Amino acid sequence: MNLLTSLAVGILFAAGIYQILRRNVIRAAIGLVLLSNSVNLFLFSAGAYNGAAAAYSTATSQISDPLPQALVLTAIVISMGGFAFVLSLLYVISTRYKTSDSDEVKGLKN
Amino acid sequence: MNTAYLLVPLLLPLMGVPITLFMRKQRRMQSVTALVLMLASLGFSFGLLRTVQTTLEPVQFQLGLWQAPFGITLAADLLSVFMLIMTQLVLCAGLIYALGSTEKVVQYPTFYPLFLALSGGLSGAFITGDIFNLFVFAEIIVISGAALTAIADDKYGVEAAYKYFYISTLASVFFLMGVGSLYVAYGTLNYADLAARIAENPSAPLGLTGMAFLTATFLIKSATFPFHFWQPDFHAAAPTAVSAMLSSLVVKMGVYGFFRMTTLLFTTEADMLKTLLVVLGVVGVLYGGFGALGTHNAKRMLAYSTLAQIGFILVGIGWGTPLSLAAALVFTFNHAIIKAAMLMLAGAMASRAAVKSASFDVIVGVGKYHPFAGFLFLLGGMALAGIPPLNGFVSKLMIFWSGVEAAQYLPLAIIGVASIVTLVYIIRAFTRVWFESNPEVKPKQGDQLLAPTLLILLALILGVWSEPLVSIAQATAAWILEPGAYIATIMGGG
Repeated sequence: MNLLTSLAVGILFAAGIYQILRRNVIRAAIGLVLLSNSVNLFLFSAGAYNGAAAAYSTATSQISDPLPQALVLTAIVISMGGFAFVLSLLYVISTRYKTSDSDEVKGLKN
Repeated sequence: MNTAYLLVPLLLPLMGVPITLFMRKQRRMQSVTALVLMLASLGFSFGLLRTVQTTLEPVQFQLGLWQAPFGITLAADLLSVFMLIMTQLVLCAGLIYALGSTEKVVQYPTFYPLFLALSGGLSGAFITGDIFNLFVFAEIIVISGAALTAIADDKYGVEAAYKYFYISTLASVFFLMGVGSLYVAYGTLNYADLAARIAENPSAPLGLTGMAFLTATFLIKSATFPFHFWQPDFHAAAPTAVSAMLSSLVVKMGVYGFFRMTTLLFTTEADMLKTLLVVLGVVGVLYGGFGALGTHNAKRMLAYSTLAQIGFILVGIGWGTPLSLAAALVFTFNHAIIKAAMLMLAGAMASRAAVKSASFDVIVGVGKYHPFAGFLFLLGGMALAGIPPLNGFVSKLMIFWSGVEAAQYLPLAIIGVASIVTLVYIIRAFTRVWFESNPEVKPKQGDQLLAPTLLILLALILGVWSEPLVSIAQATAAWILEPGAYIATIMGGG
């Protein structure tokens, strides 16, 4: 399970970075989602394997750490808001510049 | 000392967000409410400073009354209060500027709510005592800052906001990776607890990884060379009232991160980080100075100048002596005031030009009908270059003095030479706007000059009567170099 999680984090991160470097702005936005999900998975795995019982139970076995889950929850909400914001920016950019190629969006270069 | 009073400077701007949003139909009332809330918040921050100075220990509040390190800790030591006052002072000036601004963006119903969100994010980032909480406030700053730039009158605002948001999201990803790594290594997120555990066991697996990720994050946030590339575009395209805040305050969040990292969190590994900061700072001073020389836009020139000034601060943090830390703090404070005033003046001139732009081709000669603005710009430029009797002189003197004391002659020589460049580009900008003639210039109403006047006045006062600021900065430096007391107070529950 450890190996699987680390592989998933690594592959998601690599795919996210790859997509973010693409010229198509929509793909780059998807890359952003992949990246934030890989980080969420990493945060989650930071405390996922420390205990077997649920954090709220009165079980005598070692209870698992609830904090990383709270962190992931917060991070998911924030990245969702960020993604919505990026999509709205993309909407404005695509109507204004009539393109989805980030190389064509170069008004600031002049 | 444990008191809920600490929440007030944070909650006033944050509560202002929904309040001003409800007032979106009454623009005047909305803007005045925002200003009143920020002024009240500033007043409470000064009260906080008094409390910290008299009790000589950090003020803290455990959210939900959970004992540290289990709950989220808000803690204000002298460093936090110092940054808080600087932030809210400049934010108040920014709101005053927005009140008298002719830009369309201030008429936008969500301008003041977003501005207050930015204020709340900045205030929170400085008084939180929890590293994940810092991440949350950093995100508030990023989203509100990017949204404020996206709605700018400048037609490239959206593009700049897009660019900034991508870079900042990458920084956030690094930040979360760093937080996760530190949590794996040390099992806590509280600054004080983390510092104590790192000092106990500096080489826990993933501990250094966390430090590296946090370093990358704060380098991006403070727009240090080589992570600066987004900054001039972003700061030049933002609405004037906002760009003054971005260039003077938002980058300081990264600087604050380095203060905390080198003096509290990673004291055992700090030498590596400090060397990096000195090198990047020196390169930043050179790059920012020469970059500013090569620009054709007043706001862009000032944005490049921020790169150079952040470089000075990082060099001060990197030397890490009590005097150089105090110098870095004074520099941080003074730079915030000067840079905000200068950007406001550049924006005010741009608002009086034929086409609304801060490009030198457009604003050349605009100053003909505005000699007072020219006088202010000259004073601000002198402060930026470090000429007495303005506050920039005090900060540069302290930096150079601390360099001599630390016997760091090579970096000192380089930044000394590079700081002369400041004078060159300021004088060039001044002569182009105020002394060259341009037949197309007509008298025109523009943004009011009250806010930059107040800030320049403050710069003058802090230059002539710098003793209070310097003594607070020295007390702060002495304080943050003794992290033991901070850790004991927070963990003891005060």
